[in-house]
Formats: sequence, structure tokens, C-alpha cells
Amino acid sequence: MNAVPAAVDASAAQMLECAHCALPIGRLGQRREVGGEARWFCCYGCCLAYQVHHGERDEPQAAAALIRLGVGAFLTMNIMAFSLLLYSGAFDGDEAWLRQPVHWLLALLATPLVALLGAPFFAGAAQALAQGRLTTDVLVGIGVLAAYGYSLIELLRGSDRVYFDTAAMVLVLFTLGRYLEAQARVRAARSLAPLLAAERAEARVLLRDANGAQREVIMRVRDIAPGVCVRVLPGERVAVDGVVVDGASECNEEAVTGQPQFIAKSAGMPVHAGSINGSGPLEIRAAVAGAHSRWQQVARMVREALARKSMIGVTVDRIVAVFIPGVLLLALATAGYWNERAGIEAALMTGLAVLVVACPCSLGLAAPLANALAIAAAASRGIVVRGGGVLEKLARLDAIAFDKTGTVTDGELRPHSIRVDGASTEEVMHYARALACASDHPVARAIAQIAADRAGTRARRVEVRAGAGMRGDVDGTRCALGTAAWMAAQGWTMPRALAGHTEDGGTRAFVGWDGCVRGCVLFADTTRADAPHAIRALQRRGLHTLLASGDAAPAVARLAAALGVERWHAELMPEDKVRVLREAIRSHGAVAMVGDGINDGPVLAAATVGIAVGGASDLAKESADVILPRGANGMLALPWLLELAANARHSLQMNLVWAFGYNAIALALAAAGLLQPVLAAALMAASSVIVVLRSWRAGAAADRSV
Amino acid sequence: MSEVSLLFLAGLAGSVHCIGMCGGFACVIGADARGRAATLLRQLAYNAGRVTTYCFLGALAGYLGLLLVAQCGDDSIVAWIQRGFAVLSGALLVYVGLQFFGGHARGALGAGGALLADAMRTLVRAPGLAGPLAFGVLNGFLPCPLVYAVAAQAAASGGPGSGMLTMAAFGLGTFPALLAAGAVGAWWQRGGVPAGVATVSLVSRASGGRAAHAGSGRVLALRCAGAFIVVLGLVTVARGLLPLSGHIHPMP
Repeated sequence: MNAVPAAVDASAAQMLECAHCALPIGRLGQRREVGGEARWFCCYGCCLAYQVHHGERDEPQAAAALIRLGVGAFLTMNIMAFSLLLYSGAFDGDEAWLRQPVHWLLALLATPLVALLGAPFFAGAAQALAQGRLTTDVLVGIGVLAAYGYSLIELLRGSDRVYFDTAAMVLVLFTLGRYLEAQARVRAARSLAPLLAAERAEARVLLRDANGAQREVIMRVRDIAPGVCVRVLPGERVAVDGVVVDGASECNEEAVTGQPQFIAKSAGMPVHAGSINGSGPLEIRAAVAGAHSRWQQVARMVREALARKSMIGVTVDRIVAVFIPGVLLLALATAGYWNERAGIEAALMTGLAVLVVACPCSLGLAAPLANALAIAAAASRGIVVRGGGVLEKLARLDAIAFDKTGTVTDGELRPHSIRVDGASTEEVMHYARALACASDHPVARAIAQIAADRAGTRARRVEVRAGAGMRGDVDGTRCALGTAAWMAAQGWTMPRALAGHTEDGGTRAFVGWDGCVRGCVLFADTTRADAPHAIRALQRRGLHTLLASGDAAPAVARLAAALGVERWHAELMPEDKVRVLREAIRSHGAVAMVGDGINDGPVLAAATVGIAVGGASDLAKESADVILPRGANGMLALPWLLELAANARHSLQMNLVWAFGYNAIALALAAAGLLQPVLAAALMAASSVIVVLRSWRAGAAADRSV
Repeated sequence: MSEVSLLFLAGLAGSVHCIGMCGGFACVIGADARGRAATLLRQLAYNAGRVTTYCFLGALAGYLGLLLVAQCGDDSIVAWIQRGFAVLSGALLVYVGLQFFGGHARGALGAGGALLADAMRTLVRAPGLAGPLAFGVLNGFLPCPLVYAVAAQAAASGGPGSGMLTMAAFGLGTFPALLAAGAVGAWWQRGGVPAGVATVSLVSRASGGRAAHAGSGRVLALRCAGAFIVVLGLVTVARGLLPLSGHIHPMP
């Protein structure tokens, strides 16, 4: 007995959940056909993401929709041709007896048309009404049924006031609008599919059985463990991060580095998942699990990004939600007004025109489509943009701040000398190494590396303070490694011999124990080759630039001058960086922060947009809004990305201005009785076409811009 | 009446042009597995769809022309509008005709046309009659200078009825060539070779054993048709330019 209500509840709940993100769809839910079935989505981004994953049957589906549209157009064109003859008075005078049979012919043509093309609208409207919603389906359904039903009644009464042509044109043009929208979605999904294919990718795995014979099996990339050998044939995509064990070829690493270049690969060289193999077969040993390659992680992040709502998208959805009931009321009011003054027919025509002209089909489409295409374009160059909202912020940046170490300078630091005071070099290196092993910071990595051959203990009870330093117990001694400010924060004394700056002003890491600073490791900074170009390109875009570093003032000043950065701040603790950033936001407006993503987490979070330069091997740790591609030229992607965001924003704004402006004008005309319903439907379809084409052009323009 | 038959001839000659593109579609629609009659029905559905679109465009153009004329009221302006249409139509015809001599008879598709053609490709293989019918309907909307030329004539013809007749005559003129192209496609499919290969080679292979020989025959046919269309275009332009009385021919 209990099973039945439970099942009903489940299906009702299923109806009200987004098919992609499984959250309740709320008031703004949308119904779309994907893969031949109607589903509800909470937003357009979810619909796109769902389509990418479940759109295998798109092609036959599109063909079926097109056939329906074509057959509908066939019937409509016959109706229209005869209607035009009627309007032009072809059946007046001697041939007046033909008028009634022609009307019957129109009814004969319109009935299958309403059944064929109207069915999806009626079904959608019924479902929406059952859930207490008003959607565009409801508007179209009401309009078409009113025109068709009224005409049929008039025909049966022997009158010749029939509007089958109106019902037919409204239906066929709306079906055209829906078809175009679905096609735009299919194409967007198709351009996203290669990126997201990573999650379903398979690879040729080489297995050895007991007697040493090798065989090849196809395996899901997700299931590949580190150490497994994978074969990649020419033209195939490399599925794992690993090292070449056999073969020689060249790989296009655009999906990883953003640079569309072929790089020679031979035995012993690292290859990256997502790159495309060139001319020769390669045998690769996976270095990390298949699911942990950057390629896989980017795919996951892009899929998540698609479902994230943008500010503009949400705003538009909200407007649409109040727009539809408003339009329905306006249509009723218009019909009532004209009914009193010019009779039922004028009422029908004006009411219908208002319903049809105001259908906001193109409104909800503009923002998600433009954003999804931009996110896809970025991802194809190895850039992760986490959602349309990030793009919107990127487009209105006023200033951009850079972290120094690992961001504008190379992540790999070269220690060039050690200074000591009251201790031996060996002692200093012993403590420094013991602490450094516990951190992933570039300075710590460099120290751990030079001391790697010296055996030593590990520090215990280590506390790491991001951007400042670390402390812990080594052999029972309390010791610390970090900036001068960190040492001061410990309250430890700084010998004069160590406090002075060196002439080249490079990065310094102080080492101390037992309440006293004992040594200092000096590093040479090398500027990243791509940083000056990227910064100049950003300044040409009119952005203010800012350098924020925890390092000593001379080093930062020298670097700022070399890079042409306008303002710099040195010797900042992480909380100081956050403060500097907040000040910049106050004085400039929107400020992006570029950092290495792991050590700058809080600072990136405080910025309008946090941008990580993508050094991290595990993207899951990245909390930044944007992750630039890996490799020597990763930062060059930044000006391109800003251009992309600006283009997407521009296209979006134009679309919204167009759509809202058009709706306002057309609505006024329709309510005033100056717009025929047929013309209104034609305008509506044209506006959908324009929005779709504009979004596409923006995507294509961004691709061409670099 | 002579007008209508002239347009029928224009369609007939122009369909050599059509074979370049629409002929390819007709070929690809190909045969129905259920036999000859079914294949013929399939081809007829395709052509019916196409001619319906033409008729609709003709009626629409005629209606718009009528509205334009009715708006002006003044007879001299009406005459100027009709002359304008005649010159436009004639110029387009001359353009199409001259293309035949350029060796490359296909009209270039605009961006919109390319999108439409791309979408239509999915329809080709659909079984049943609805697919070819829908295909034909959409095919009729593909940008084609020949269709524009005749539509301009329909606009000048005086009303939706005569406009429809104008385009219908033209459409029926293209019927035989495209039916033939469809037959070639069906024949080719029965031969077990996958269709959808380059159309021109299909046509030349079909019209004779040796490809080179057939090619030269085809070029001759193209040039004849081209010359006819150029002459027709010049006549149409002349009708627009020369102050002949009675150059407005309301259809009976």
C-alpha cells in the first residue's frame, strides 16, 4: 500500500530536480529536449553540461526535428499561399463561391500541422501548468489554440473570418526558433565534447602475462594505475602523464601549455596527457594514476564550470520569470481593451501578437551560450575558467597584481650562496633542510634539493605559515626558516651581518634556532621569459599593474623596474598582501591577483579574480578562479583570456540590449494593435537567429584573436 | 501565357545549373529499398517540397509586389518599380548564365546557406517520404541566384496568383533534370557504390562510358543552357529598360 505513494513522490521529486546537478530547479526551471527526452534543468549551463554527457543521440534527434520542421513548413507554405490569394482578392467576384472551399482546405492543412508541430508545445505547457509554472510553452500553446480554435468555430458557423495562417506561421516560426536554439546547443556541446571526453577516454594498455608475452587491452583511463605502460599510436591523444619508454615522435601539447607546437619526444622524456601524438608510436609509462592527470582534472573542472551560474545569467533568468506572467496579463488586458473597441477579432489578433512577440526565447539563451563557448575556447588552450561569473569579472578588471616568486620569477630558484653567523654552513644547511622537506614552497623545494645528498633528520611538529616561513623541532631544537619578517615575528634576534641586503637583492631565506638567526640562504631570481611580454600586453589593455612580494625591497624594486610594473610592495606577510590587495580594490576597482596558487590561497581568494599560474601538479588543490596553462609561456595566455572575456561580455551586452530593446518596442507595437501576429512571430524567430549567430561569432572571434 | 512557357524553359535550361548543386542532393536522396515505385515517390516528394517552396516564394513575392504597387498608386511609379524588378531579374539571369561559361557552375553559398546545407545533410538518409519532402522544402530556401531572378519576376507579375504561377512554371521546368539526377543517384546506389561522392563526377560518369568524352559533352550542354539564360536575362533587362508599352503582363 505504501509503495504507490512513494513511487509517485519519487517521480514528482524527479521532475523537480535538475537533470544535471540534481538540485531543486526552483522557480526558474527550464524544460529542454536532450537526446530525445524532455528534461528539466535549473539553468541553461546545466542543460549544456548535461547535453555534452548525454547527447550521443543528438544527430538523429536533430534530423527528426528538421523533418518535422520541413513537413510543417510544407503545410504552412500551402496555407500561406492560399491565404495570400485570399487577401489579395483572387477569389472575389465570379469566383467568390471558391472562398468557402478554400477555407475548408486551409483547415484541412492546418489540422495536421497543429497536431504535428503543436504537440511538443502543448505537452510542455501541460507539464509546466501541472507544476504551477508559466513557461513560453504556455504562451505559445494558448496563442496557437486560440487562433486555431476560433478559426474552426467560425468556419463551422459558415463565416469566413479564419486565421489558420496565423496559427500555422506562429507554430512553424516558433519551431524554427526552438530548432535553432537546439542546434546552437548541439554545436556548443560538440565543441566542448573533446575537452570533456577526457573523463570517458580509453587507452591501449600493454599487459604482460605470466610467460612474458605482451598483449594490448583497451582500458578506461580512469582505471590506469601509476607504472602501467600505455601505447599511443600516431594521431592519437596521449592519455596519461608519464615518461616515454620506447619510440620517438613529437607531441602537440596545446591542451596543456596553450602553445600549438609539436615538441620532439624520445625515450626518457616526459609526456603530458591531453597532448596529441605526431608521427610515430610511443610507449609511455604512467607516472601518476590516469584520473589524476592534469587533462582529466581540467575536464572535471570545465564540466563543473559550465553548471556555475553567472551574475548576468541569473539576473536574466529572474527577469524572464516575472516577464512571462507579465506578458500573459498584458495580452489579456490588450485583448480586453480591443474587444470593447473593435470586437472579438481585433482582440484575438492583438492579444495573440502580444503573446507571440514577447516570448523571451532568445533572452535566456544569450548569457550561457556565450559563456560556455568562451570557457570551451579557454579550456582548449589549457586555461581553466571556473564559471561564467569569472569571465564577467575578468572583462571588467581595472588592475592586476602579481606575486613575485614562482609567478613572475621562475618557480625553480637557484641558491647561490650561504651566509652564516655564529654557526657552521653544515649546521645551517642541516636545520634548513630538515624544515624545508616539509613544504612545497619554491624556496623550500630549492633548499631541500641542494641538500638532498646530505643525510639528515626530518623536522617534527612543523608549522607552516604560508608566504612567511615555517618552524618546527629538529633533534629537539626549536628552529625556523623564513623571511626576515617571520624571524622578527618569532622574536628572534637578527645579527647585523645577516640583516644587510646583498647588492643583487635576490630572495633570501633565513635560518635560525634557539632564539637567534644563524644563517641566510641567498637565491638568484630569474625572471620568467613570458612575464615581461604578458605584463606589457596587459598594460596596453589599460590595466594598472602591481607587484606584491614577501621579499626584500631592493629585490622587488629591481624586478618591478625590469618588468615595467607601475607599483610594488615588498616584505609583505600574507595578511599584508591581503591588505594591499583590499586597498588596491578600493582605489582601482576590480583587481585580479596572479599567484602560484598554492602558497597564495588566501590572497587569491581576496582578489576580485584569483589567477593561478598553474605550477601545481594537483589541480584539485587550486582554489583560484582561473588556472593558466603550465609551461614556460603560460602567462602569455592571460592577455588572450582577457580579450576573450571582453569579447564574450561585449557580445552578451549587445545581445541583451538587442533582446530587451526589441521586446520593449515590439510589445508596445503589438499592444497598440500595429503588429500582425504573423509578423510578430517572424520578428521573434529573427531575434533568436540573431542572438545565436552573435554568440557564435563571439566564440569564433576569440579563437582568431591570437 | 508566352511568359509562363518562357519561364518553364528558363527552369528547364537553368536546371543544368541546378544539377551542380541541387542535382547532388537529388542524387544523394537516391533509391528506396522497396523498389522502383517507392524510389520515384521519394524523388517526387523531394521535388514537390522544392516546388512548394518556390510557389510560396512566388506568391509572397507577388503579394509584396502588389502591396508595393498599391502603396504607390501613381501609375508612373508603378511602372518604374516593375522596370526595376525586370532589370534586377534580368541582371541575375545574366549573372547565372555567365557562370556557366566560367566552368564552375555552382553558386557560392553564403554563411546562412552553408549552415542550412549543413543541417540538411542529416536529412538525406531518413527513410520514408517525410525526409525527402522536408529536404525539398529546405532545399527551396537555399540561396540561388536563379530563384532570386524568377522571384523578382514574380514580384513584378502583379499579384500572388500570378507570382505563384511564375515560380511554379519555373519549378516545373527544373523537374525533369532533377528527377533524372535522382534516377542517376538511385542507379548508382544499386551499383553498390556508396553515394555522396562528388556529384559532378557522378553526372559525367552517368552520361557516358568515358569520363573525358562525357565531360566535353556536358560542357557543351552547359554552354548552350548558359547562352539561353543570358539571352533570357538580356530580354528581361531590355523589358525593364526599353519603353515598350504593355510591358506589364497581368496573368490571366
